[in-house]
Amino acid sequence: MPVLRFKPSRLYELTGLDLEELRELLFRLKCEIEEVEGYVNVEINADRPDMFIGEGLARAVKGLLGVEGGWAKPKLVDSGATLKVESVPTRPYIVGAVVYNVNIDSSDYLEELIQFQEKLHEGLGRRRRKAAIGIHDLEKLPSKTLIYTMKNIDETFKPLNYDKPVKIREVLENDEKGKLYGSISLLDGEHPAIVSGGEIITIPPVLNSDITRLEVGTKHLFIDVTGTDLKTVSLVLNVLVSGLLERGNTALGLVKVESPWNGFYPKFEPKTLKVKPEEVNSILGSSFSPEELASIMVKMRYNVRLEEGSLIVEVPPYRVDVSKSVDLAEDVAICYGYEELGPKSSWSVMRGRLHSITELSRIIRTIMIGLGFTEVKLLSLTSPHIVKVLGLETASVEVLNPVQVEYSVLRPSMATSLLQTLKSNLHNPKPIKIFEIGPVVYRINDSVVDEEVLGLAIMDEEVGYEEIQAPVYSLLRILDFKFKVSSAKLPFLVEGRTAEIIIDSKRVGYMGEVQPEILEKLGLEYPVALAEISLSKLLNVTSKDYS
Amino acid sequence: MIVYEVVVSESEYKLLELMRDKGFREGSIEDASRVLGVDVSTLASLVMLLKDKGLVDVEERRLKRLVLTEKGLDVLSRGLPEERLLAIISESGGLVDIGRVNDVLGSEASIAIGQAKRRGLIEVSRGYIKLSVGLDKARASLESLKSALESCGRGVYPEFHVLKEFKDRGLVREVEEKVVYLKIPEDPGEMLKRVKVEISKINSEILKKGLWKRFKLRAYNVAAEPPKVYPARLHFLQEFIEMVRDIMKEMGFVEVIGPLVEVELFNFDLLFQAQDHPAREIHDSLWVKAEPVDIEALYGDLVARVARVHEENWGYKWSPKIASRLMLRSQTTAVSSRIISTRPKPPIRIFTLGRVYRHDVVDATHLPEFHQLDGIEGYHGYTFRDLLGTLKEISERLNLHVKFKPAYFPFTEPSVEGYVKLPNGRWLELYGAGLFRPEVLEMAGVNYPVGAWGFGIERLAAAYYGIEDIRILYAGDVRYITEFKARS
Repeated sequence: MPVLRFKPSRLYELTGLDLEELRELLFRLKCEIEEVEGYVNVEINADRPDMFIGEGLARAVKGLLGVEGGWAKPKLVDSGATLKVESVPTRPYIVGAVVYNVNIDSSDYLEELIQFQEKLHEGLGRRRRKAAIGIHDLEKLPSKTLIYTMKNIDETFKPLNYDKPVKIREVLENDEKGKLYGSISLLDGEHPAIVSGGEIITIPPVLNSDITRLEVGTKHLFIDVTGTDLKTVSLVLNVLVSGLLERGNTALGLVKVESPWNGFYPKFEPKTLKVKPEEVNSILGSSFSPEELASIMVKMRYNVRLEEGSLIVEVPPYRVDVSKSVDLAEDVAICYGYEELGPKSSWSVMRGRLHSITELSRIIRTIMIGLGFTEVKLLSLTSPHIVKVLGLETASVEVLNPVQVEYSVLRPSMATSLLQTLKSNLHNPKPIKIFEIGPVVYRINDSVVDEEVLGLAIMDEEVGYEEIQAPVYSLLRILDFKFKVSSAKLPFLVEGRTAEIIIDSKRVGYMGEVQPEILEKLGLEYPVALAEISLSKLLNVTSKDYS
Repeated sequence: MIVYEVVVSESEYKLLELMRDKGFREGSIEDASRVLGVDVSTLASLVMLLKDKGLVDVEERRLKRLVLTEKGLDVLSRGLPEERLLAIISESGGLVDIGRVNDVLGSEASIAIGQAKRRGLIEVSRGYIKLSVGLDKARASLESLKSALESCGRGVYPEFHVLKEFKDRGLVREVEEKVVYLKIPEDPGEMLKRVKVEISKINSEILKKGLWKRFKLRAYNVAAEPPKVYPARLHFLQEFIEMVRDIMKEMGFVEVIGPLVEVELFNFDLLFQAQDHPAREIHDSLWVKAEPVDIEALYGDLVARVARVHEENWGYKWSPKIASRLMLRSQTTAVSSRIISTRPKPPIRIFTLGRVYRHDVVDATHLPEFHQLDGIEGYHGYTFRDLLGTLKEISERLNLHVKFKPAYFPFTEPSVEGYVKLPNGRWLELYGAGLFRPEVLEMAGVNYPVGAWGFGIERLAAAYYGIEDIRILYAGDVRYITEFKARS
């Protein structure tokens, strides 16, 4: 979940609430608050990017408090700015807007504005791939006619916070932002750029120029959003603009975009949903009247009117998360309170049942402790080293993107876990008798299979085939299986002291003594005998239904 | 007369029996050892125990003992000088010149002559010696003297005048020694009648032979620390998992299972997770090296619906190639999504509990692999409040008081998280839940509302058992598992 940093003074100015009151209200808005080093960290869910700035947060809080309600369309003016779009194959779409009278009056606000931009990049913008934002000081634009085009990376401009012009190439190769985002939209030595009065003012999605830099004192903003999907760039622009418009005496300046998607932006229009009160009530299990629903929705900053028994709901353009009646229903529940809505216990009788694997495991587990084996539990992710030592690498399934090498392959056999566990028990009194029931994952031809298996092992001063054979026989006889045992070969067991267990001519498991060289390689100084039986296969060969 | 019972151990009893059979009543401990055939050290410790019970008197005595001198030992090996004298006389035909005797016997000649004369065996006149008794008689007299000397060597005292002679001749001397001296004050046979044998363990033979009447079981220090024993145990994490399964079963849910290695289709796409969503990026989940599955062949209709719904709502070109990649399931909701795609007939109550995998580094609160419980419930008329009711019921059965918090998941709306306050004051996220979004139901082809939830098992189990570090749940130390404290 995104975490946003705010100055407590800003939050107090915007909401009039102290931190504890705010904590309570924000909890209901899916948020959590933590105070860290003079800041308030607010965890905000990814579906509410409109709250990623103080004014947006305050807008939601004040609605919930009932201080303000609904949504007011901003004052629209023509900014006179034009965006001429040339072919930019790597991020073809661009939209723009001007917001008047934002007034960057403090460094705290400037910091918050940049944070807002960054968090929109990460989420909706998919780390600037899908959408990236440039914010400029309107008054510093060399010209109100802007051209969005591809520029050769040997062209120069003065990047933000640089003291002299450099080649785009240098920014892409050496600048911190260039290294992170420089490859996203680069194509054949060319990179997207916005040009104003002959000057490059930004190379999206990487870095703005220093010419249009924002600072304390900047009054009006020009915003560009570029990306790979028109719907997304338009949405990102709306969310950003909505947060800025909440500041005092603002106005929204439209920008003319000359392109195949010709028109004035932003398209800052509400979405209209028509929803029947019964529909909301049937989702929630509530019994609100239409009027109650309308007043709740207004608190959640929707504009609502009743028409022929339906609610006509205007969804503000910044609510990216609302598209269907379920989304409105959730907002109703949030505003009313989940606890207040209350859980309903209407228990109809239904018959529960455990899976036959679970039931069979339970029977086996009680027999195993009766046989003196203690249950262990290990991760099914293991190290390639032990898989290799046991000679099981061809059957094993590797993780493509492991975090730690110790957990980079799935155990193809319980033997890996059993031997690792015995290793960590060398200091304990012998005999050590252990078992685990859990999954193993292995490869058969081209497919990957997982199976629930029982593994059991004994380590002692002296231990052999018979010591593992006896409990296996006892277990299978109690489980009432007719089984056969025949001599077998396994890469890690002693030849002549290894057997496979066969039921209905199907191999369901094996047992035997571990080879001394394997024990030596693993640093086990005591002999070990072990066995493995597949529960999945046992269930396949029996007509018994354990569940 | 006071009749009292004395309790002895089995070995003490056996010693008393031996004393009775061998007729031993008193003597040094060495004597007793010889007579009874028991080595001195065993005997000494048993006797001291019997002394404490008043059955044997033990005192330390100073005793004189005869030992042979070097001269005495020489006599035993070479014979008495007078014996040799007799031999010379006999060789010489009954009469011998003193001068010759002196030549043969040297320094011993005068002793030999003096002793033989004193014993009245010879006469000496005018430089000649002759026997005054018969040769045989003389020899016999000396033989008996020699055997008395031999007895002295074994510590047996001879008659007083013999002792005096031996001492005078420097053949024996007396030494004084300290010895442990034992005395049985009472006839051992009588004593045994009033003694009971104390034994430490009763056994089958004692019972079969009825010997227990003669025995008394030794009293123990019942508070003494016994030897440690370690039972085979079931693993506490597995026990917790089984408890959760029982709760679900009791609430009328049917358990299902699903694959650990899953196609993205069920882990993500059917759950309305956009293909470019950050959660699908490489650093959140784990993928496996395996050939992708032909999902279009296996789930054709489903794939078509998923493509349509994604493209309509997310505005991008949905890729079946991405959806067919194999990953380690990151949530057991993948099983729930498989289940709803089979369009089960309502009402349904279904759960699954199994392992899931994440791209996480191991630390006190993270594992790359852990267990989740996922449940789904649905029927015509099912509402969000019914879901809250089920969630409340589950948490109450786990004995937890849970606070609902609005939440966001891509595949549910409305969504809720359950938080529980731990004894240490921290809030633990217990579950995430919600009604499946209409888009999810549309893709699955289900026409009734379905509530879904997922619980993380390990953190909950850790909280339940008061464990601070979840790695402990997977530490394979058998001793830790067998000594794990039970809780109800």
